[in-house]
Amino acid sequence: MNYNFDWNVVANAFPAMMQGLGLTLQITVITIVISMILAVPLAVGRMSKIEVIRWAAQGYIEIFRCTPLLVQLFWIFYALPALTGVTLPGYASAVIALTANLTAFMAETYRSGFQSVPVEQVEAGRMLQLSRFQQLRYIIVPQALRQQLPVILSLNISLFKDTALVSTIAVSDLMFISNTISSQTYRALEVFTLAAGVYFAIAFPISLITSSIERRMQNSSGMGAPAPRRLASRMMPGTRPVVPA
Amino acid sequence: MSHSLSTGLPPVQQQKDNDGTEQKGKKVTALEPTPRLTGNRQVLVEARGLQKAFGPRKILKNVDFEMNKGDITVIIGKSGSGKSTLLRALAGLTDPDEGQILIDGHTVFADQKRTKEWDNIRSEVGMVFQAYTLWPHMNVLDNLVLAPRKVRGAGASESRDRAEAALAEVGMAHHILSKPTQLSGGERQRVAIARALMMKPKLLLCDEITSALDPPVAAEVLDVLRRLKEEDGIAVALVTHDMAFASKAADRVVFFHDGEIAVNATPEAAFDKCDNEDLKKFVDAVRF
Repeated sequence: MNYNFDWNVVANAFPAMMQGLGLTLQITVITIVISMILAVPLAVGRMSKIEVIRWAAQGYIEIFRCTPLLVQLFWIFYALPALTGVTLPGYASAVIALTANLTAFMAETYRSGFQSVPVEQVEAGRMLQLSRFQQLRYIIVPQALRQQLPVILSLNISLFKDTALVSTIAVSDLMFISNTISSQTYRALEVFTLAAGVYFAIAFPISLITSSIERRMQNSSGMGAPAPRRLASRMMPGTRPVVPA
Repeated sequence: MSHSLSTGLPPVQQQKDNDGTEQKGKKVTALEPTPRLTGNRQVLVEARGLQKAFGPRKILKNVDFEMNKGDITVIIGKSGSGKSTLLRALAGLTDPDEGQILIDGHTVFADQKRTKEWDNIRSEVGMVFQAYTLWPHMNVLDNLVLAPRKVRGAGASESRDRAEAALAEVGMAHHILSKPTQLSGGERQRVAIARALMMKPKLLLCDEITSALDPPVAAEVLDVLRRLKEEDGIAVALVTHDMAFASKAADRVVFFHDGEIAVNATPEAAFDKCDNEDLKKFVDAVRF
């Protein structure tokens, strides 16, 4: 390999890339918060006894689950204005597309969590005259969220990485800034290595936390190896759980 | 005198012979006198002509059922014979296809739907399930006070006092801050009973609550039910395979066979003097 690294480019580009990271994180947080809220009624609708509501919820979920996120992003940014006559700025289009997409996945996660709560626990609530909302609020949702927390965190990590797609509609996120600097300096290797490092530095700790939660849940449910004492060991991903015979 | 007359029911297709044994079709076996149902005790539950089918399978076939206030009624029978479905119908968790249910003189189910009276009376019916249904994300205290606080609007200290009393009643006061996962099977079931008691029920429905417990632990749980009856006058309908409990503590034994009540008698009559072959086979199979 005959390549001369120029890390000065990276040092010069770093402040601009951090600005891009700020926008990436902003889009990520806004999308996650809105999706986590909207996914609750969607998941409830998906389990509704009323067929029309159930099919509508299912239809929404399948549309966003079975089409590429990039297509959804382009559709909202380029196709929607043709349909409605309203042009949305790139930032708003990005948030709408990512939220619509994550809501579909989050709703399915919630639904499987809701359905993992034993029906007898819900019936016990009914027998104590808790309303349907109270059953959801106090019995189903807390358990479902706890049960599905690793999946929810994984979805959020995926979303954080997927925000890189918004660079294609000129939203100046970390990826867009990196691409611009790379084009200007012809130093793709350094710039994109730094970009990858920044994405990794944010996502990896969350991944470790996810692993830790999974291990704790396995231990608390009586499955898996006993929790190691050291923090680093406790968070180590990929540790093979030992299921007692 | 038929109890149904005093509760406003239409004339019932049921007769009682001279010794007080209920006769319904060919299934009921002639038994010795059963004074508990025909004495001065008031009827708490009356179900008439209950029918329920799941798909093509009929689970309840025109079932008539009666329970007195403060009685322990043990319901026995093979799996799928309709015991749990009857309990669920009384609890309001399953609606029968046909029939009528009265609780404490109030019609709570008629014309294939729950009546408005059910909303007023349902708090008097508690249920404990086979599976441990304590909410695992809450401690014992929170399990007990959730319904009184959120449904009845009771205050924190009042709810806690009532929870302490209910736990003391089932011998679990020292576990008030424990998590359900820290309790044994028998302890969880006792807490589940205490939780049902928080709503001050007149009728406690227990669906195979001891089936997953060791016999000594099961005996402790059943002893709690006996105390509830004796000290608080709570009527208990219990689906169980514990024949020792049924023979010692039950006021009535109801044997379900193929969706119908085949025997409804005192424990002595049901176990010692009954000539119903299905019941004999069932009891032999359970005992040995």
